[in-house]
Amino acid sequence: IHPTGKLFVLSDGEGKHATVELSEPLEEEISGVVEVVGRVTNQATIMCMSYVQFREDKSPFDLEIYNEALKIIHEFPEYFPFS
Amino acid sequence: GEGRALPGGADGPAGPSQRIRSQNIVPCTVSQLLAAEQVDETFRIRDVEISQVTVMGIIRHAEKAPTNILYKVDDMTAAPMDVRQWVDTDEAGSENVVVPPGTYVKVAGHLRSFQNKKSLVAFKIMPLENMNEFTTHMLEIVNTHMILRKNLMSASRVPQSFSSTGIGDVGGYGGGGGLPVNGLTAHQSQVLNLIKNCPVPEGMSLQELKVQLHNMSMSTIKQAVEFLSSEGHIYSTVDDDHYKSTDAE
Repeated sequence: IHPTGKLFVLSDGEGKHATVELSEPLEEEISGVVEVVGRVTNQATIMCMSYVQFREDKSPFDLEIYNEALKIIHEFPEYFPFS
Repeated sequence: GEGRALPGGADGPAGPSQRIRSQNIVPCTVSQLLAAEQVDETFRIRDVEISQVTVMGIIRHAEKAPTNILYKVDDMTAAPMDVRQWVDTDEAGSENVVVPPGTYVKVAGHLRSFQNKKSLVAFKIMPLENMNEFTTHMLEIVNTHMILRKNLMSASRVPQSFSSTGIGDVGGYGGGGGLPVNGLTAHQSQVLNLIKNCPVPEGMSLQELKVQLHNMSMSTIKQAVEFLSSEGHIYSTVDDDHYKSTDAE
């Protein structure tokens, strides 16, 4: 997380990094697995519209398998449509 | 009671059109529900009849009224969907507790359409304690719809026997493996598919199945393998830990 709190870097299930920009600085400490909803910018960063921290108090979230699942659902748009 | 996930299947002998009865509870995306076509009282997603569904998403909004709670549930495949949960006004306790926005939940309910607007009437809303269930849900959606559609399309398919093991696998909504389709639960189908697609001559080992199926316990995998083996879908090869499919290519 950048010191200004307006930028943080995420690492995905394949170890690739993405930069997330916020319009307002973070008002809380975030850690662990975060789901960001936002728009991709021309500079290949994500302009964050909302984010949520995943619960990992009972079980850790398997990010690698989630990544694999994502690939699968994109292979089958007829069974997993995005309208 | 909770015994709603009954095996769906052909309604009897012959008949070129095998309807999958909507007795199954089908995992769906909100986008699928919105796209479902309605003919009279029935909804269809790509010709597959649906009635009871599960969706998983995050609560964006919650509004409490005297007799019901109206949530807006967002699974990012479409705009948030209205989910209504009726409240038992006589019963104090958990039914009246509103799940706060920002919580990921699993919703089980009936699809409804009123004045061309789709919504769900929930009989169960459960906050997710393990986010890996979300991953499972996504995969189950693809798997279930694919299997249901395939069953519809193969009109000459002989109805498979339904074993009580398949129904026994259905225990509440936390497990996620409880949709018996064509006699096989989602767990059994997953195990069978992996074994079918294994190119190795000695077949797929139990260890390899465990590696591929992260969120399935070894005992669930073993149960699935025993069932599939007893039904003749797979056979053991070099030892009891290795299996091949009987209709591998």
